[in-house]
Amino acid sequence: MAYADLREFLETLRKNNQLLNYSDPVRPEPDLSSAAAATTNLTDRGPALLFDTIEGYEQGKARVALNVVGSWPNHALMLGMAKDTPVKEQFFEFAERGEAFPGRVERRTDAPWQEHTLTEGIDLFQILPLFRLNEHDVGSYIDKAIVVTRDPDDPEHFGKQNAGIYRIQVKDKDRLGIQPLAAHDIGLHLHKAEERGENLPIAIAIGNEPVISTVGGMPLAYDQSEYEMAAAIQGAPYRIAKAPLTGLDVPWGSEVILEGEIICGEREIEGPFGEFTGYYSGARSQPVIRVTRVSHRTDPIFEHLYLGKPWTEMDYALALNTSVPLYRQLKADFPEVVAVNAMYTQGLLGIISVKQRFGGHAKAVGMRAMTTPHGLAYCKVIIVDDDDIDPFNLAQVMWALSVRFHPQHDLVTVPNGSVLALDPSSDPDGIVHKVVIDATTPISPETRGHYAHEVANPSATAAWETLLKGLIT
Amino acid sequence: MTSPLDTTVCPRCEQSTVRVMTTSPVPGAWTMHVCDTCFYSYRSTEGPTATDPASFPQDWKVDPADIPGMLAMPPVPQRRG
Repeated sequence: MAYADLREFLETLRKNNQLLNYSDPVRPEPDLSSAAAATTNLTDRGPALLFDTIEGYEQGKARVALNVVGSWPNHALMLGMAKDTPVKEQFFEFAERGEAFPGRVERRTDAPWQEHTLTEGIDLFQILPLFRLNEHDVGSYIDKAIVVTRDPDDPEHFGKQNAGIYRIQVKDKDRLGIQPLAAHDIGLHLHKAEERGENLPIAIAIGNEPVISTVGGMPLAYDQSEYEMAAAIQGAPYRIAKAPLTGLDVPWGSEVILEGEIICGEREIEGPFGEFTGYYSGARSQPVIRVTRVSHRTDPIFEHLYLGKPWTEMDYALALNTSVPLYRQLKADFPEVVAVNAMYTQGLLGIISVKQRFGGHAKAVGMRAMTTPHGLAYCKVIIVDDDDIDPFNLAQVMWALSVRFHPQHDLVTVPNGSVLALDPSSDPDGIVHKVVIDATTPISPETRGHYAHEVANPSATAAWETLLKGLIT
Repeated sequence: MTSPLDTTVCPRCEQSTVRVMTTSPVPGAWTMHVCDTCFYSYRSTEGPTATDPASFPQDWKVDPADIPGMLAMPPVPQRRG
């Protein structure tokens, strides 16, 4: 299932009763972000929100879409699956589609964002209803755009062209701040450009179909193309088009394309900004973008992401992106791993289900998670469960923790591990103790406890689940 | 950068470097202000904790003297020889 653009996906959501089009007048602050937070507070099956009457803008001329993949039904629809598909099934589907990497791209010259062009007198606030997300953010941000840059030392390499999502502060009508960390692909591009004494051309694509936004947050290898991964995940060639000023490849279906340059050698105060950890990150000195060309559709939709105390749309959007790579890396060493749920604060906490081979095996699997590439910055708390536990079903996980975990025998503490500096518990920043909580049933040679007589479901339960599914949903 | 300087003080860093950044497409609905010292921006329709220096929370203030020494992320590399 491939969606051509955001509008086509929103129409699919509407047909599935997963889009709330809100047309009463709203204030930019605090209504828009409050509505997004309220939706994910209320339910994990909520709709996307589309606002078209925003104070200061003509009705319908400025629209804001929030929570586009901010629930499990919307995530399933992104994958072209039925909206009631269980998370575990979405996980295995996502993992399987990733095996088709690299998919093909389809180059087009007729992108709908070519309708309008602006090169002088750029004022982003006239084009997009920008607004403050959290009370103590320094200003308005763009935080769900696909940001495209190339490797200045190898500009023709398609795979090294990066399409990622980064937080972008709107500092002025045509001036932005960006956070390209040294470990990010865009950070490497900027490093090389600044070594060369050059500005780094950049394209910022706002308002996209959901697969590229999902892949934009995926940890791919440096020379792997996000567009080729998006093609694999959506099961069809991915449409791209050349941005006119920079020649960078951007999604064909975007609502708005901003083009410009990250200015060589320039750093300016940026932040604070409410982050995915549920805490603000402080002010730092960060690079600056000068926007010199804007292309956009008529009455573009500003697709935005509310970020703050979990759960927010970002937790749904990155859930399987984080879980699947960890699953594949663990499975390579331990084929007994059944599934991995690393969707809590991008995997600061992860849950692994494993068919344990011998006593102590589960603890080894848990510690291995901490030494995967992702685990070096995350995986602070790892819960390991038996293969009869669905790690995406927290009721089952809590049951296993409550009856199979023995605090004296099953807690492994790894002192002074590495973690992302944004973890507010790290002290000093970036260092924290880590734990494996082994909630598997003890097996030989570790024989203890009283686990011989577990209650099974009545014999026809599975058949009744199938029968009732159609009657009670 | 052509807008006239606003005479008010930045709610965050308390410098007199606030100017009008832009105004609402529908005239009169709101004005966006920005500070050229700390790049804090705010909309005229926001509450006093966002717009008024006296009501802006102390915890979130910035001392302009601290700005030049802030950690550069990422640092600027040496140019190639």
